[in-house]
Amino acid sequence: MSKRAPHPVREPYPGSPQYWRNLEDRGGAREADAPEFPKLPDGNGHFTTPPSDEAWLVSRRGLLGAMTATMALVGAEGCRRPLEKIVPYTKMPEDVIPGVPSHYSTVLQRRGDAVGVIVESHEGRPTKIEGNESHQSSLGAVDAVGQASILDLYDPERSTSPSRGGAPASWADFEAALAGKLGEFDKDQGARLRVLMPPTLSPTVIRMRAALAQRFPKARVHTWSAVNDSNAREGAKIAFGEPVTTLYAYDRAKVIVALDSDFLQTETGSVRATKGFANGRRLRSSKDAMSRLYVVEPARTVTGMNADHRLRLPASDVERYAQALAVELGKNGVAVSDEVARSVSKVSAEGIPAPWLVAVAKDLAANRGRAFVSVGSRQPASLHALGHAINAALGAVGQSLMRFPAADPDELDNTTDLKALTDAIGGNQVDALVILGGNPVYDAPADLGFAAALAKVPFSVHASLFVDETSAKCSWHVPRAHAYESWGDQRALDTSTSVQQPLIAPLYDGRSDIELLALMAGPMNAPDKSSYEAIRTTVRGGILGQHGLVGCGPVLDGKIECHDATGKVSPVPAVELEREWSRALASGVSTRPQQAPTPLPLRAGDIAAAIDKRVVPAAVGPSSLEVTFAPCPKMVDGAHANNTWLQEMPDPVTKLVWDNAAIVSPATAKALGVASKDMIKITVGGQSINAGVWVLPGQADNSVALTLGWGRTKAGRIGNGRGFDVYPLRTTQALGFAVGAQVAKAGGDPYFFAQTQEHDSTEGRPIAHEATLAEYKQKPNFAELDNAPQRALPLWNQQDYSQGHQWGMSIDLNACTGCGACVIACMSENNVPVVGKLEVWRGREMHWLRIDRYWVEDEKSGGTVDNPVAINEPLACVHCEEAPCENVCPVNATTHGPEGLNEMAYNRCIGTRYCANNCPYKVRHFNYLNWHNDSVWKETGGLPESLQMQQNPNVTVRFRGVMEKCTYCVQRIQSAKIRSKREYRELKDGEIRTACQQTCPADAIVFGDINDPNSMVTRWVRTDRRFGLLQELGTRPRTTYLGKVRNPNPEMV
Amino acid sequence: MQIFPRSLNKLPLLVGAGATAGLVGVVFFIWYWFSPYFTQVGYSPKQPVPYSHRLHAGQLGLDCRYCHVNVERAPLAMVPPTETCMNCHQVVKTDSKMLEPIRVSWQTGVPMEWNRIHKLPDYVYFDHSVHVTAGVGCAACHGRIDQMEQVRMEKPLSMGWCLECHRDVKEKQGDSEFIRPVSQITNMAFVHDGHVEPPRHLNPPENCAGCHR
Repeated sequence: MSKRAPHPVREPYPGSPQYWRNLEDRGGAREADAPEFPKLPDGNGHFTTPPSDEAWLVSRRGLLGAMTATMALVGAEGCRRPLEKIVPYTKMPEDVIPGVPSHYSTVLQRRGDAVGVIVESHEGRPTKIEGNESHQSSLGAVDAVGQASILDLYDPERSTSPSRGGAPASWADFEAALAGKLGEFDKDQGARLRVLMPPTLSPTVIRMRAALAQRFPKARVHTWSAVNDSNAREGAKIAFGEPVTTLYAYDRAKVIVALDSDFLQTETGSVRATKGFANGRRLRSSKDAMSRLYVVEPARTVTGMNADHRLRLPASDVERYAQALAVELGKNGVAVSDEVARSVSKVSAEGIPAPWLVAVAKDLAANRGRAFVSVGSRQPASLHALGHAINAALGAVGQSLMRFPAADPDELDNTTDLKALTDAIGGNQVDALVILGGNPVYDAPADLGFAAALAKVPFSVHASLFVDETSAKCSWHVPRAHAYESWGDQRALDTSTSVQQPLIAPLYDGRSDIELLALMAGPMNAPDKSSYEAIRTTVRGGILGQHGLVGCGPVLDGKIECHDATGKVSPVPAVELEREWSRALASGVSTRPQQAPTPLPLRAGDIAAAIDKRVVPAAVGPSSLEVTFAPCPKMVDGAHANNTWLQEMPDPVTKLVWDNAAIVSPATAKALGVASKDMIKITVGGQSINAGVWVLPGQADNSVALTLGWGRTKAGRIGNGRGFDVYPLRTTQALGFAVGAQVAKAGGDPYFFAQTQEHDSTEGRPIAHEATLAEYKQKPNFAELDNAPQRALPLWNQQDYSQGHQWGMSIDLNACTGCGACVIACMSENNVPVVGKLEVWRGREMHWLRIDRYWVEDEKSGGTVDNPVAINEPLACVHCEEAPCENVCPVNATTHGPEGLNEMAYNRCIGTRYCANNCPYKVRHFNYLNWHNDSVWKETGGLPESLQMQQNPNVTVRFRGVMEKCTYCVQRIQSAKIRSKREYRELKDGEIRTACQQTCPADAIVFGDINDPNSMVTRWVRTDRRFGLLQELGTRPRTTYLGKVRNPNPEMV
Repeated sequence: MQIFPRSLNKLPLLVGAGATAGLVGVVFFIWYWFSPYFTQVGYSPKQPVPYSHRLHAGQLGLDCRYCHVNVERAPLAMVPPTETCMNCHQVVKTDSKMLEPIRVSWQTGVPMEWNRIHKLPDYVYFDHSVHVTAGVGCAACHGRIDQMEQVRMEKPLSMGWCLECHRDVKEKQGDSEFIRPVSQITNMAFVHDGHVEPPRHLNPPENCAGCHR
């Protein structure tokens, strides 16, 4: 028997911050102490006990039966192996090398921005999304939703054919019906025809819309998306008279004030913003400077988790705060124009902590030109206008932010526009409504009664990926093509355009918006023969436009006659244009960003008028609560509800999976007499919903945070009935937040939530190290000093790791925002299965990479129990050199490779789970079942074939009874090594990038050869902030961390 | 007093018989495990078209890479598309009965279905290109294909067999009998005599993740 005492858990040293995962953790009692077997909600919201068919296998009789069958099968294995066929091509496609993936560039719309991506394709089967380095809105990264978009493409429940009133029909039927209907409109120029679509970034869609207007000049195209940037747009219109969009340079800013703006996760342009933000805070040594982020917000967001100072304020108070800040800025010599100053001067600063005005204003003023405020999209237009005034006064324009013309100049305020449509239907002015994408029946403001109005339209069409809530209410549904199966184009925030090229022929017979609009406009008005031709025409126009040419004739003798604005004709060789087209497809950028236009003058009078006119929200108090609506970081507006990866991805803040929740602060929960998991009834303006409560520290008091996109009823097998639909509370007057809510305990069973952060306790060990910038400058190796020294001696003789490649990883906690893109990238690359809500609750989630989120109570950085600061720590297998898992494997299934990898041979593993038991990092995951087939897709008979198409052929799909964990993407290491060997050269640093590293928008992860003195990872590992996680155990982890540094304002702590 | 019943007298006999049977069983299983019966050396299924490697690669002297084009740049050497057959056979033997399936495939676009002979388990990742560019000839694993009328599995393709070569090459580099000049890769008759300068430092993996991932 071992006489070694367990490692003493070190008491936190005096003055060290207290780390906790949740409130129970802090209080000492643990939620998991008395686990009650949860009841599973079924599709109707009723509770049933989970199906017990697994019980058969574990009964004595069942076990004996299973063993007998196993023995019989062992005998049968000696039989002749099954005949396998090799099926080559008949005619080899150009550029396809079987077994070697090809990569294509395309582009993905993410809210108001387009993110360029590179898609990996195995023999015509797209499998993995990566960022495109040459695209300015991606810079090589993608967010979690973008990573998961590949699963949407293959969703087996996508609509497969047009349908009329629910009955399947053909495209020919639809075309005939549409042509017949549109024929009726020709005489009155389409006055009774309406189109509804989400905001577009596509120049070709805008062109097709114009073509439709040629045929039907009186037809109207309305715009609606539940998650839109209309307030920002209206704010820009007030401030400048034009709907300009603002691109913030977060890397150039020294001081950032985010006013209810989750710019790192859910706002438009978050990928680029995260890159910039992380670069503005990157510390190579203790001499470097970093930016400072102030966040004022009601609910904790990813941005709030990364704030240096965070003020909890109800959303309805944020505008008041901004006005008070503008007044205070005036006292510091940063004067907004007199008219605006007069308007804001009446504001009361009651309830706002004084330093949040005085010190913040002083900090902003001291960093003029390198400071700005960023306003969240749910805040009213008047606040956006004021934000423009403040930024102009701070001299930020041109220095740390730029403004560009909007992608679609004709877009109207979404709410007004949808209301206009509903009113027109109510007034019997609409005979035909074509809805391209979106899901307005589910997500339109509740007070519009859109669903009822839609029923009145005689001819309604909904083109969408799924037969969803809206499709069910329309007379026609047609399948819409996914972005990865259709030609299109998108304009990014910085005005550069990209071609969206299809990776695969439409899987389910869908058509794109461009094709449908062209079909409606008719061949006379939209002469391009296909969407491909249409895109080529647009791109050609864009390319010629960059040379000052405006129009072209047909190709003659290999030349095209083009003329510029003055009418001067110049011939352009057709081959040049073809080359440009190829370049556009290869690079993923067809036209470069325009020069930022000269800043428009600020219309101070209009801003002042808007501020004076604004409806001041009622005061928030215990008797009149506020509810806030935010897009879900995973579901967005609900469009991704049927995506298993996103469902199972822990929410970055709450760490809840498969659900949303009504989030309240501990104080409010106490006042309401509710606790986490209780059901509450929220009533706003006569409408009410029931939702489960989650108590989260850091939430503003008297404010209930709700996330959009849940509680779908026609999303599909995966998305139906998950979480709580909050749209019934959302009205035209309160799209962002509503005041005057009543909350009451609803009684009944507690709701069954599954949350991942509860699993795996740190047992009080210091896990994530941090310091303030001042401390870091004094004590550059704070992380190593705060870490416990190595106590355990190695069990075995030391291996020599000084030769050859030695792989290692370094994760910068200072850069990580906790967004979760890496989690999905890892699932996508490594065929990681989804286990479902109940199994997550049992602690059986399979994520190889998880992000641990700790709340920190610390005076130095201003974290309190009510408003703790957060630290995020991504954790995958750290590939210990002295790996505890290897020592206990009875069959040598996990062993150490010569290049330092802790390797897992699945075909050797017999599933004793000793390794997971012995792993101090809790990063090994066991396949309790054949998850791919027997979890969420069990009822359909296993993982659908279409989803199997997504899987990476270079990674083994693990079966029941096998342990698995992060491999450092060994398939990427091997293929890069093989490539270098084949080409008789050395591996270059940066050639191997793990999936998590590749997608990280913050560049928080670096991987490489730690034996190479010049590699990036070696440089990171040698920085002073380095520490080894749990290094006191003597595991010698290959993944090392760099401590987090906060930059609090000395005047505020 | 008799403690043990009489029937126990047979126990030593039973134990002896059982042990012998067990030993025979173990020997049998080990023998079976390593024998060609298990690894299926000699497996040679009939193909839909009796393509003769002896004729094409041997007598006519076609280079392996005329058909298996990707062997130097991809994990899969690739069974050629119908198109490759038709390159010649639209002028040579155009009315051969045996080539009927090829012509049908070419005309209809329905691919040929060949029977797989060399098969590795799904959890093994093998890459042709890295072996070929290291100087491992085709014949090392596939045998004298140029003498086979109907292709036959010549080597066991078992993990022990893989490692034999990996270990030998790691130790002896160019002196290993498995290594030849890269220019001689497809030369079936190549004989390794003495030292060959290896094209690069050869460091074949012996760890699990080299092939299992």
